[in-house]
Amino acid sequence: MEFMPQMQMHQPTSVEDAVSLHGAAPDGRYLAGGSDLLVNIRRGIEQPDSLVYVNNIPEMRAITETSDQITIGGAVTLRELSGNSAVAEHFAAVAQAAGEVAGPSHREYGTVGGNLCLDTRCVFYNQSEWWRAANNYCLKYRGEICHVAPGGKKCFAAFSGDVAPALLLFDAEVEIAGPDGRRRMPLADLYRNDGMDHLTLRPGELLVAIHVAKLTTSISSAPIASAYAKSRIRGSIDFPLAGVAVAMAVAGGKITDLRIALTGVSPLPFLAKGMDDFIGREGDETCLEEIRDKIRTQAKAMKTTTTPPHYRRRVAGALAQKLAASIF
Amino acid sequence: MSTSEQDIIPVQSIGVPKPLVDGPEKTTGKAMFAADFQSIEALVGRILRSPHAHANIIRIDTSKAEALPGVKAVVTEADCSDSYGVLPIAMNEWALARGRVRYRGEPVAAVAAINVATAQAALDLIEVTYEELPAYFTAADARADDALDLHQEKPGNIEREVDFDLGDVDQGMAAADLIREVDVRCAEVCQVQMEPHAAYAEYDPGRERLTIRPSTQVPFYVHKMLSRTMGMADSHIRVIKPHIGGGFGSRTETLQSDLIAGLLARKARGTVRVVLSREETFITHRGRPESHIKMKVGMKADGTITATDFSVVQRGGAYSGYGIVTILYAGSMIFGLYDISSVRFKGFRVLTNTPPCGAFRGHGTVKTRFAFEGLIDDMATELGLDPFAVRRANLLVAPTMTENDLLVNSYGLDQCLDWAEAASAWKVRKGKMGPNKGLGMACSHYISGASKPKHWTGEPHATIHLRVDWDASITLLTGAAEIGQGSSTVMAQCVAETLGVDMSRIRVIASDSAVTPKDNGSYSSRVTFMVGNASIDAAQNLKATLVAAAARKLEIAPEDVECLGEVFRGGQQDQGLSFDEVVMEALKGEGTITVKGTYDTIPESWGGKKYRGAAIGGTMAFSYAAQVVEVTVDPYTAEITVDKVWVAHDCGRALNPLAVEGQVQGSVWMGMGQAMSEETQYHEGLLLHANMLDYRVPTIIESPPIEVGIIEANDPHGPFGAKEAGEGSLSSFLPALTNAVADAMGVRATDLPLTPDKLLELLEKKARDIKASGRAA
Repeated sequence: MEFMPQMQMHQPTSVEDAVSLHGAAPDGRYLAGGSDLLVNIRRGIEQPDSLVYVNNIPEMRAITETSDQITIGGAVTLRELSGNSAVAEHFAAVAQAAGEVAGPSHREYGTVGGNLCLDTRCVFYNQSEWWRAANNYCLKYRGEICHVAPGGKKCFAAFSGDVAPALLLFDAEVEIAGPDGRRRMPLADLYRNDGMDHLTLRPGELLVAIHVAKLTTSISSAPIASAYAKSRIRGSIDFPLAGVAVAMAVAGGKITDLRIALTGVSPLPFLAKGMDDFIGREGDETCLEEIRDKIRTQAKAMKTTTTPPHYRRRVAGALAQKLAASIF
Repeated sequence: MSTSEQDIIPVQSIGVPKPLVDGPEKTTGKAMFAADFQSIEALVGRILRSPHAHANIIRIDTSKAEALPGVKAVVTEADCSDSYGVLPIAMNEWALARGRVRYRGEPVAAVAAINVATAQAALDLIEVTYEELPAYFTAADARADDALDLHQEKPGNIEREVDFDLGDVDQGMAAADLIREVDVRCAEVCQVQMEPHAAYAEYDPGRERLTIRPSTQVPFYVHKMLSRTMGMADSHIRVIKPHIGGGFGSRTETLQSDLIAGLLARKARGTVRVVLSREETFITHRGRPESHIKMKVGMKADGTITATDFSVVQRGGAYSGYGIVTILYAGSMIFGLYDISSVRFKGFRVLTNTPPCGAFRGHGTVKTRFAFEGLIDDMATELGLDPFAVRRANLLVAPTMTENDLLVNSYGLDQCLDWAEAASAWKVRKGKMGPNKGLGMACSHYISGASKPKHWTGEPHATIHLRVDWDASITLLTGAAEIGQGSSTVMAQCVAETLGVDMSRIRVIASDSAVTPKDNGSYSSRVTFMVGNASIDAAQNLKATLVAAAARKLEIAPEDVECLGEVFRGGQQDQGLSFDEVVMEALKGEGTITVKGTYDTIPESWGGKKYRGAAIGGTMAFSYAAQVVEVTVDPYTAEITVDKVWVAHDCGRALNPLAVEGQVQGSVWMGMGQAMSEETQYHEGLLLHANMLDYRVPTIIESPPIEVGIIEANDPHGPFGAKEAGEGSLSSFLPALTNAVADAMGVRATDLPLTPDKLLELLEKKARDIKASGRAA
């Protein structure tokens, strides 16, 4: 591990203080669990002069439930999120995804906000300063070329958070605080398809909370069934080679609702297109294979991990097939 | 404590599960590892590494770094007196690159500074001018006709080409009922021991003396290479081995970081702490080479193996290291497990622009064993034979000498097979596992130390000193490196058992060159066998001294003294003398008792056949292992779950069953990583995998229950009959796993690691083939 540079750390107890402290030190960064940021600082990818620690802000630490929605504070830990019964009841995929992040010790201090704002990852980027310098850096940071797709001008570093696709199933919204006050927007709008700059946050903005409305199936008031699964070489620690969240409802043997979201295969998490085509279909083997194939074509993984993209595309489809089969 | 009770019996220490003697320090965090040594005056040592895979060094300018306030020393190859290496015939490495760099990350210069920020700033100020050269990252590229030689003295980039042709292979193939071939590729793997490399070096400028604490398995080799590199007298260097966080072969040779710490300390005329990052530890490498194996086996219808013909190409990396030994082992160790006589082998160890490989647990044997055990499993299937039956058709009978003249004095493979078959309920479960589930098995073996040392000096293989003074405690002095494997515990057990005293009487002091006798170090599973025997010898000498003293005091003849460990007496009616009383008597007129014990191998174990490299594989005793692996494969994702492993290991007498079980489980587990997930990957020679995320060591989630059956086919020369326990059951995991996958899914994996992407390709190919044959029909 490389050495940690000296930094000033602030520990505000309100969102407003956090935003103003950050405003006073524009080269600073918000710090929550630190499991992503501190590693990147040690590697010289990030070089902030100060850190604004947000886990002491009560508003950001709470999960609150009302009759029609749940609000999750940005600094709620992944362990807390995965163990929350209301979340598990209404948004099973969200609880599962939170429980699948990295390993138990990461989940103990890693937060949902941190997981949603995770930097994109690439095997040519998540390396030491010496390594990246020896490789002439890359498009994402300090360099001119992309080693994944030399000749291109687009960065393919993959978004690798587990929780985002699960929240996308439920049209979650994020609440953002910044120098100009607070705003809300769909979670999907937090992201853009650019590995270099995948978050739409403006300078100094902080993800305060996630609001997610309880979703029922189109034919009953029951919570919609959902599940999350990720592919990884090891059953712990690893980021997703591909992560798949599925929400599905079935009535009379036929699909009435189907949504599938992906992570780990492109610079942003996204809802797969064309899932409405399956409404009214019976969940037979042919249907499941068609779901698999449709997901496969949308999972455009590139060589951003040591596992070949060929597998990551195929396994994304396979996981969608497997999860859909399990909900049937 | 003197008594005449009839039930006095010597304390038993052998065959009893014993916690490791250094356990309390480790479990309480008090154990000091190399990186734990710290002092106010210690400087931070950091290393400048080559960004290029292959380049001439035109110029190094360190003047700006030297001028930076807070920098106390900058060293380059100019500070090195000589090259270094582990094999006397292949010392072609320098602590800091001289004239040319040959892999990305090779050390070029190093600095010692008052803090890490200054040290890093100083590295950035060192100017190196390189002239880039063509670089070769595969064995094939390095062997191409027009490839530039990495080392002038190694034309064609061949570190060593070896071959032998024993028995009559052509006749054996002609006599076979079935001949099959396999083409196997195994990725390069690293040990990933828990503790990254580190060294703490103190230079005494007044006396011109160096004291160093390196994280090493071989303090003696480090000592020799420090004196050679630094141009110092051996006697001016003191090497103290601290606690070690594992080795598995990554530290069985001197590492640059050990030498650089010494060079920096001398130049700074002070104390320097060099602690490598995990990335730097990966760059230092010394793991198992990427190998390409082609193997052909002939078999009779009853499973008898008639001939084996195979070749191995190893990508060795940029320097020699242990390379010659590794490629020789890859050939010679085909013998010793089964009764095979006709074998032809061709091996190439190739130099490439990647970090140097080394001696990894199961040195040289693992990939050859993988190829062989997978191939004969498929042949068994084709012949309608049970995998156990085909192994049983080829058993050795000890004592015997193999066709390449390896001594086999004890042989428990038959018992290992029986245990693994029964424990896994193989007979009733094999073939009835249901969809996507399978059982596979395989066998393996390993040496109990190489019979011929690398540095032939005429000294015994092992020397132990025992000291007893007025406090009646026994101090055991050994140079053998305790690296977490339990060697200090085994020595204490051997001495306690021989004397019949409780182990709490014994204090082990290991590996301080100023205090302990020389030892070659902890590698090739030599310590229990050789140092254990030396410990017994020393304890017997001590016992003779004590018995003589007891006889004097009891006024009886020494042969009439009954030594019961804590009590020495003339007979049951005799009240006897306590151990303490005997010691007091022994000290009279003599002072502190010091005795020595030694061990030497016998010439019959040296390998006498007259062909090049014939001595490699020679050992006093082989361990044997057989294991069964049960798997489930996810048909969607092709992920493999290892449900359970049953492993039998013949270690001769199990001196410490608790430690044996741990070693066998560790071996299986390490084999599992290599079989399923671990591999290095390079981008033009840059390590893509140099962290714990991208180099995928299994986690506890992947770890199956591992049931261990200890088989005790005692060896006549082993300490109390003991043999190797820490390596032999690694290599059989790999083929047992792929054999289980073959059983579950009907596909043969020949490329390791068998990650889900590779298995999915095999499954999809099989599905395509079935479809195609369906269409054809």
